Amino acid sequence: MSDPATNATPAIDYVGVGFAYPRPVAGANGGSVEALRDITLRVEPGERLGILGPNGAGKTTLMRITLGLLPCQRGAVRIFGRTPEQARRERLIGYVPQRSDAELAFPISVRQAVELGPAGRLTGFARLSPDDRRRVEESMSLLGIADLADRPVGKLSGGQFQRTLIARALAVGARVLLLDEPTVGIDVTGQRRFAELLTSLRDRLGVTIVVVSHDLRTIAAASDRVACLSRTLHSHVAPEGLTPAVLAEVFRHDVEGVFGEVHVDAHPAADCDDPAHHHHHHHDHAKGGGA
Amino acid sequence: MRTLEYLLGAPELRATFWPPVLVGLLVAALCSALSVPVVLKRMAFVGQGVSHAAFGGVGVALALGLIIGAAAHGTGLLAVVTLFCVAAALGIAWLSDRPGARTDTAIGIVLAASMAVGFLLIRAAAARMRASGLPPPPSVESILFGSVLNVGPGDAVLAAAATAAVLALLWWYRRPMLFWAFDESASPAFGVPSRAMRSLLLIVLALAIVVTMRLAGVVLATALLVLPGAAALELTDRLRPVYAIAMAVGVLGVAAGLVLSFEMNWQPGPSIVLALTAMFAAARAASSLRSRRAHPQEKPA
Repeated sequence: MSDPATNATPAIDYVGVGFAYPRPVAGANGGSVEALRDITLRVEPGERLGILGPNGAGKTTLMRITLGLLPCQRGAVRIFGRTPEQARRERLIGYVPQRSDAELAFPISVRQAVELGPAGRLTGFARLSPDDRRRVEESMSLLGIADLADRPVGKLSGGQFQRTLIARALAVGARVLLLDEPTVGIDVTGQRRFAELLTSLRDRLGVTIVVVSHDLRTIAAASDRVACLSRTLHSHVAPEGLTPAVLAEVFRHDVEGVFGEVHVDAHPAADCDDPAHHHHHHHDHAKGGGA
Repeated sequence: MRTLEYLLGAPELRATFWPPVLVGLLVAALCSALSVPVVLKRMAFVGQGVSHAAFGGVGVALALGLIIGAAAHGTGLLAVVTLFCVAAALGIAWLSDRPGARTDTAIGIVLAASMAVGFLLIRAAAARMRASGLPPPPSVESILFGSVLNVGPGDAVLAAAATAAVLALLWWYRRPMLFWAFDESASPAFGVPSRAMRSLLLIVLALAIVVTMRLAGVVLATALLVLPGAAALELTDRLRPVYAIAMAVGVLGVAAGLVLSFEMNWQPGPSIVLALTAMFAAARAASSLRSRRAHPQEKPA
């Protein structure tokens, strides 16, 4: 991979992204719950970015905005220069959900599951294009599940099932892979193999990889660069930069966030403005490729 | 064999018994195709809620019929019941869409309330109709458990139209529906509208219940929406075979149930449910026998 910093169009460009949910409790005096604040981050093509954050840090919100499923209330997101909605239409992002979200005991084969990536939105007489068909087969071979193509997904191991979900995301021809908590329930060996798998996908397809997780080990193993998210971006560093001090800051902040979110709106995340963590204001000095 | 006599005998017998047989086979095809997504999405209880709403719908239709003087039978009644069921289905969809929703609680309440309203309104309407010399409405029992005599040629036409329409819809949206059923939370990211898929399935569920309830009754209509799919999923984990087996189980079960009903002079609803339950039990036994006998398969790594 060439040095990502030299590329012109970023794979994903977040500029000052903010989002707040309407206050869910009826009778409360209006207002909203801030989920994301001033996220500015540039993801370079071919980069492996990890977004580390504890529960309630806004990871899901950020993913949904990136996928064009939530509007960007403040700031803007561009995916290879497109809005998230355009990017979704052009299938630029391949989404890999948590394994536990999909139904395991489901009567479809691996190939049928992978085909659903490009075919899911087709209705009536529409058929998969030859390109899509080719990509389905290629994705299965890339992920080493071509020989399982006709096996029912219910008979797969956890790792094989996850490869199926990744193949489904790649089969749409995505240029960015977005993975949500990919290693939940996977042991240490499995995690290492998983990181190697992502690296080989990046090397062979040039695909940009964004892993979102609360699990430090996953993020450290699978990323060139880490963004620590806790409502706002605390820092983005190489994995080696994940010092105890940085982590304590991210996770401590969240402990307050988790308990404070519903009623602590009064002092809106004042500690986020700690001057020690202003990386997000000068985002363009992307630190690519660890090592 | 009364069955043969009914179906091949005198013209009056044929005129009485062919419509329920036709309706039975049509709704068998319709409901068993629907039963696959219903079982896969664990929506059996949702179906139960919608079908019990139909009972309330009958009560409301009869009461309305008395008030505005329209016929309490036939298309007017069916239209009101259909509206009621679709509204119940969409209400359930809306309730279950809310964050932290307790869908089963909502269904439980809707189910009980519409049974109560339906029962009282049907009784009251029946008394009024008897008093004013109108033809009495169908009995509560026949609404709950179905009746061969409820079903006329008009119902057969309606069932045929509904079956064709629903099967066409299911076919048209087969891929988004499959994606949604397989992986609902990921579906929007792949351009599959999950909310629309849920609503679509619930609306066709409501339609299926409306055409099924005349024959099988509101309480037992849901059996047709669960048992064929459940039996098929015991026997295979391949997509097309699941649908094929479900449809075969549904059609055979309904046919066997109707024969049982004719021969024993039982109500069709319970007879059909018994036949389908027996088929499910056989499928379950076959599958556990097979998995016990199967050589230990390659263990998932």
